[in-house]
Amino acid sequence: MKFTKLIVRNLFRSKLRTFLTLTLMAAIFFFVTTLLSILANFEAASNSGEGQNRLGVQSSISLANPLPLSHEQKIRTIPGIADTAKLQWMGAYYKEQKNFFANFAVDHEKLATVWDDYSTPKEQLEAFKADRTGAIVGPELMKRYGWKVGDRVTLIGTIFPFNPTVTIRGVYHHKFDSSSFFIHWDYFYESVKDINGGMVGTFWVRVKDPKDMARISQQIDDMFKNSEYPTETFTEKEFQQQFMAMIGNIKLLFTTVSLCAIFMVVLLAAITMSMAARERVTEVAVLKAIGFSRGMILTLMLIEFVTLGLIGGILGMFGAKIVFKFVNMTEATQGFLVNFGVNTETAATCLIAA
Amino acid sequence: MSSLVEVRNVHKVYKRDSFTVPVLNGISVSVPKGDFLALMGPSGSGKTTLLNLIAGIDRPTSGQVIVDDKEISAFNETKLATWRASHVGFIFQMYNLIPVLTAFENVELPLLLTHLNKAQRKQHVAAALSIVGLSDRMTHYPRQLSGGQEQRVAIARAIATDPTILVADEPTGDLDAKSAHEILELLHILNTDHNKTIIMVTHDPKAADRAKRTLHLDKGILVEDQNAQPAFGVR
Repeated sequence: MKFTKLIVRNLFRSKLRTFLTLTLMAAIFFFVTTLLSILANFEAASNSGEGQNRLGVQSSISLANPLPLSHEQKIRTIPGIADTAKLQWMGAYYKEQKNFFANFAVDHEKLATVWDDYSTPKEQLEAFKADRTGAIVGPELMKRYGWKVGDRVTLIGTIFPFNPTVTIRGVYHHKFDSSSFFIHWDYFYESVKDINGGMVGTFWVRVKDPKDMARISQQIDDMFKNSEYPTETFTEKEFQQQFMAMIGNIKLLFTTVSLCAIFMVVLLAAITMSMAARERVTEVAVLKAIGFSRGMILTLMLIEFVTLGLIGGILGMFGAKIVFKFVNMTEATQGFLVNFGVNTETAATCLIAA
Repeated sequence: MSSLVEVRNVHKVYKRDSFTVPVLNGISVSVPKGDFLALMGPSGSGKTTLLNLIAGIDRPTSGQVIVDDKEISAFNETKLATWRASHVGFIFQMYNLIPVLTAFENVELPLLLTHLNKAQRKQHVAAALSIVGLSDRMTHYPRQLSGGQEQRVAIARAIATDPTILVADEPTGDLDAKSAHEILELLHILNTDHNKTIIMVTHDPKAADRAKRTLHLDKGILVEDQNAQPAFGVR
C-alpha cells in the first residue's frame, strides 16, 4: 500500500505518546483477556462433558436445606439409574480460616462409580474405603499444604460442630477440580448424627443413559413434590452454574467489566485520535490542498488508530498468553482455576475487539 | 496566448455567526497560460480568498471560476480534490512540509494520488528535486533543512505532478532576503524555462516585481492592474 509509510511514520511521530497509549491499551487488553479466559475456564469446566451422566438432587428450598437419607432408596427405584451417592458439604477449614477449600463427606463406596471422572489409584481408593478416618485429596491441596499420603490432618468445622481428624489415603485426579477434600461418609455421619441425624445435603445420581437425564430429573422431583422435603434436581452443569450464581452472576459481571474495559480502549483511542488530529490541523489542510479527499484523510487516520488498537490488543492478548503459560494459575488461585490458559476463542474475541 | 484561468464576476461571502462578511465583490480576472501574476493588497483585501478560489480549495458564493476550460466552481468537494491533485501545485508561506517524511517522501506525496508506479514516482521526484537544486537532500527531514531549503522542497512538491497552475501564498514571507531572492529566482525559472503559470499572493513589492503582472485588491475589489495586457487583464 502506497500510504503505509505515511501511516507508520504518523503512528510513531510522538514516540512517548504512542508508547504510553500502547502500554495502556495492552494493559487493558491483558485484563480483558484474563477476565474472558476465567469465564472460558468456568464454561469449559461446565461443558467439558465430565458429569454429563450425573444429576444432583438438593432441597427445592435451597442448597443449605438438607434432605432425609430415606430419599435415596426411593430415588434408586426409578428405572435408568445406575447408582446414587450421598454428598455433604462440610465448609471446614485447615488450621486457619484463610485455608479454606471445598471439603465434603462422601459416600466412600460410591466415589469411583458415581464420580467416574475422578480417578484415584486403585490401592489408594481401597485404602480410603477401608479407613473410616481416611480422606482422598486433590493434588493442588497436597502441593499447597505439603501433605503426603499417610499424613494426618485435622479440619476445623464451621457448619457442623465436628473437627474431623483424617489420614490422607489417596490423591485423586480430575480435569478441572484439583483442590477438593473428601472424607469418609460413615465418619462424618456418626460424628454429627445427634444434630444432623438422618439428613444429607445432596444426593448424586449416575444415569445409565444420558438421554434419560431429563426424564429421571423430572421423576425425582415429582416423586417428592408433595413430601415434607421436596427436591430440585439438576444436571451437574446446572448445579455448578447455580453454585456460581450463589457467589454472584459472575458471567454477567465479567462480561460487563470486559465491555467497560473495551469501552475504555475506545475512549482512549478517541482521545488519542482527537489529540493527534488537533495537532495535525495544518497538515490535514495541506493534504487536502494537494488533492487528498476528506474521506481519504479520515481513512488514513482511522487505519492509523485501528493499527494502534490492534497492536495494543495483540500485545495484551499475547502478553496474557505468555504470562499464563508460565504462571501456575492453579497454585496462584489456590485451585480455583485449573488448566487455566488463553484459548483460541478468547484470543480471537480480544483481537476482534481490538 | 490562450486564457488558462477565467474568474467571472465572483462574489465570496463568509458567514460568521449571524454576520455575513463580503470578501470578494464581483471580481473578474483572466490569466493567460504561462503568466506570472502577483496579487497584492492589504490584509483582508481578499487576495488569498481569490487564490483559494482559483486553486479549487474554496468555491465562490456566486460567479464562475474556469480553469483550463473546466468550470471548477461547479465541482463538488470530491471532484475538486481530484482536480487539485493533478492541476494545482501549492506553495505556502510556512512551507508546510510533513515533518515525519523526508524531502523525497514529501515531494512524492502528491504523486501517491496518481497512477504512477514506484519507479515512475521516483523519477518524477528526482526531477523535481533536481529543478530546485536539492538532489543531495533527498533523505533529509524538514527539521534538517534551512527555511529556504524547506521552501524549495515545497516547490518541488508543487511541481512534481506537473500541474496546470502553481499557486503561491506569500512564498517568501517567512524567509530571509537571500533565501527569498533564491525562491523568487526559482519561480522565475519555472515560469520562463518551464512555462509554468504562476499566481502568487504577496505583500512584498520586490517579489511582485518578479511577476509579469501585478493585480491589486482592496476590500474585495480589483483596484488597479499594473502592466495590464489588454486581452487578459482586468475586465
